[in-house]
Amino acid sequence: MDTAPTTGLTAADYPLSVRHPELLHTPTGKPITALTMDAVVSGELSAEDLRIAPETLRMQAELADASGRPQLASNFRRAAEMTAIPDAAVLAMYNALRPRASSGPQLAELAERLETEFSAPVCAGLVREAAEVYARRNLLARPAAGSDPTAAGD
Amino acid sequence: MTTPPTTSAQPRRTVTLTETGPATRGTRRDEVVIAVSPAFAGHFTRTIVDVPHAEVLRQLLAGIEEQGVAARIIRVRDTADLAAISHTGARLSGSGICVGILSRGTTMIHQKDLARLSNLELFPQSPLLDEPVFRRIGANAAQYAKGESPEPVPTRNDQMARPRWQAKAALLHLKEFECIEPGRGPVEVQPAFELSSTG
Amino acid sequence: MTETQPRRDPQPRHSLRTEILEARPMNLDGFVEEWPEKGLVAMESDFDPAPSVRVEDGRIVELDGRARADFDFMDTFIANHAIDVASAERCTSMPSAQIARMLIDPGASRDEVLAVTRGLTPAKILDVVKLMNVVEIMQGMQKMRARRTPANQGHSTSARDNPIQVAADAAEGALRGFAELETTLGVLRYAPLVAIALQVGAQVGRGGVLTQCALEEATELELGMRGITAYAETISIYGTESVFIDGDDTPWSKAFLASAYASRGIKMRFTSGTGSEVQMGNAEGKSMLYLEIRCILMAKGAGVQGLQNGSISCIGVPGAVPGGLRAVAAENLVASMVDLECASGNDQSFSHSAMRRTARAMPQLLPGTDFVCSGYSAVPNPDNMFAGSNFDTEDYDDWNTIQRDLQVDGGLRHVREDEILQARNKAARALQTLFAQLDLPAITDQEVEAATYANSSNDYPLRDVLTDLKGAQAVMDRGLTGLDLVRGLEAGGFHDVAENLLTVLRQRVSGDLLQTSAVLTADFTPLSAINDANDYAGPGTGYRLAGERWEQLKKLRHVTSATNPETEVR
Repeated sequence: MDTAPTTGLTAADYPLSVRHPELLHTPTGKPITALTMDAVVSGELSAEDLRIAPETLRMQAELADASGRPQLASNFRRAAEMTAIPDAAVLAMYNALRPRASSGPQLAELAERLETEFSAPVCAGLVREAAEVYARRNLLARPAAGSDPTAAGD
Repeated sequence: MTTPPTTSAQPRRTVTLTETGPATRGTRRDEVVIAVSPAFAGHFTRTIVDVPHAEVLRQLLAGIEEQGVAARIIRVRDTADLAAISHTGARLSGSGICVGILSRGTTMIHQKDLARLSNLELFPQSPLLDEPVFRRIGANAAQYAKGESPEPVPTRNDQMARPRWQAKAALLHLKEFECIEPGRGPVEVQPAFELSSTG
Repeated sequence: MTETQPRRDPQPRHSLRTEILEARPMNLDGFVEEWPEKGLVAMESDFDPAPSVRVEDGRIVELDGRARADFDFMDTFIANHAIDVASAERCTSMPSAQIARMLIDPGASRDEVLAVTRGLTPAKILDVVKLMNVVEIMQGMQKMRARRTPANQGHSTSARDNPIQVAADAAEGALRGFAELETTLGVLRYAPLVAIALQVGAQVGRGGVLTQCALEEATELELGMRGITAYAETISIYGTESVFIDGDDTPWSKAFLASAYASRGIKMRFTSGTGSEVQMGNAEGKSMLYLEIRCILMAKGAGVQGLQNGSISCIGVPGAVPGGLRAVAAENLVASMVDLECASGNDQSFSHSAMRRTARAMPQLLPGTDFVCSGYSAVPNPDNMFAGSNFDTEDYDDWNTIQRDLQVDGGLRHVREDEILQARNKAARALQTLFAQLDLPAITDQEVEAATYANSSNDYPLRDVLTDLKGAQAVMDRGLTGLDLVRGLEAGGFHDVAENLLTVLRQRVSGDLLQTSAVLTADFTPLSAINDANDYAGPGTGYRLAGERWEQLKKLRHVTSATNPETEVR
């Protein structure tokens, strides 16, 4: 579910930094042209200004789609959602997806959190798919005593 | 360096490991367990660089004993994973210290309270392990058993070990896998060393 | 020689010729017989599955002879994400010979081939490349490489983790032509200082070179997020479920990680290679290439833009079995023919034989790949903390000459010594100034002088390691970022270097480097498979080594002048 308006970008619009700098903004709302040495020296810029904005990732997704790379485009759309997630939380979620790191309910909760807290339905879908496969392949965390005795696989 | 082509040579010293019963948890605080892999001194008799398993054991035992520490040998039969072998040995060791070793020579010093995938010292490059190194590994394990913090045995590195030994190591690993006896617990073994005539 | 010599009994007399042959470095390499039942076989195994695919209700329900209920997680991920469901049955039922012929036929465009390969199963892809000999594999690579212009990647590391050395060798490497530079550590805690040194050295040598620091996943991502490194590559994937789990990951955790990198604007590729599964004892009886094709499709399904493959750290395994290097060439081709950027190996010590080392690289160097080496050692091999590469600094002139002899572009060029000394000196001074600006451990003038003329880490004054490690920790504790590096360089008077680095950092705001096979040119234009798409269509088309670039590559250390044969061309 990609809510960004389609800008009709095609392969000919790449690279955006050369052909369409006017479309590029930092997550803090500055135009990319504001990222100058003067601004660095005067202390106007912070590390936040050197991050990619979700809109930019959706534009890159369009370019990937236009170049016949649907999987790459999907990756960019998941990434667009993830821009809202703090660094430490991203790492924690990654660790939660490792084999036998999370129980079924924990993964369900993670998916839920991605959807509600971070408006990240595509990422949530990936986590739900993982949970289903992990259950079938015995890759969920062994349930702690007392929790969900029905979670055993086939 | 000229190495004449040969067929496989016979080791001068041999060892037979006789099973004496299921391995149990040691009661002496001053012991080190040597845990050998399924094919060690059995299906295989030498490391990847032809150090006889008899010499490996003799040197490890000598290194342990020179520190005034007792040694016990067990064979782990249900896995060829060095970390698992070493950790199994560590949990059975009265001191909690174990030297685990694979047939090809790869060696690890483990401690029972560490995570299975962790270790005290790891010697991953089996082609670089010779008798003096095994003796030092034994001595270090014994010092850990006494609660000391020995200087780790210096690990050597050889850029060209990969082209020379990587595939043979993989092959030896596969063979060791074939000797795994699933579901069978570790056993205590008694070594009997013998000098074979070289002719 | 540090190895323990095998014991040998007295032997019968040998001929003098046998003795000479035995003494050749070649015979220090190890070779083994195949064992297909255990997966110790390159690409021709009776135990690999036959291709098949069945689609029901828009979903793949059978893959290479296995029903969905029996899929392991690789099958599931590939069926769900990598294969184009709409064309899967049609493409997989095409005769393999027809697809193989398309790969080498200049009349079939790259896009036409991609329209077929996107619907192929792993076993079908194996079936196709099994029909191809090495020359055909190279022909396929020439057309299927994603980026039109080939490039190369270098390693800049130090046996002592000396940041000044890493900076100087990065500068020289960048000047010589590497589009990407990678480092790693002996002592991991040194990482922040060495990663900074790599970045500074690279931007001195040639603005726009991309850098990375190979570490465990979390730290590597953190350095990237801070803008100290520009891309990442050591994200390993494996071809069997059991080995993947041993690596403490799944296709879903890795796919999540891929998006995490993109969400920070950081270029990233996965790493895999033939031999890793059998080396870890869990090849499940499948050939090395079949398992690698599963990795390639997993990477494709994750939506990562590229892959480092070509056996990589397991090269000793395929290198030891018959046809092993053909399989390695084929795995690079498969990455390219499913439209991934391919950083094609040649990055680990491979052979004692110089002839064999060269032969190993031909299937990548001749057709050209996105990165011919995914790590040519830009330091002497004893300083290479990736355990040595197939080529190192001693091979620079040989590499340049081979490029000139065969008129192929391997991404490097000969550079005059005065230019190199200047770049090395400037890199060391820039780092000296930056460390002073950031209150990091001091670099002496003596060290700068050493860096200018050094060959290896032995040629530098020893650093105070404990002080350095404290400084490295301070980089993390103080939360220093790429922006602090820019500021420090600017304040220290290295305006051009600061500007180069800022331009690289600015790129992550645009996301242009996230597209397939992207690099930055010397004028900071992102060059990727979109705006530099490989348009090979037979003789006279595609990338040709010509014009200004060819003039560059004609230069060597010693070329007698035609104008005045008593002098050499400068």
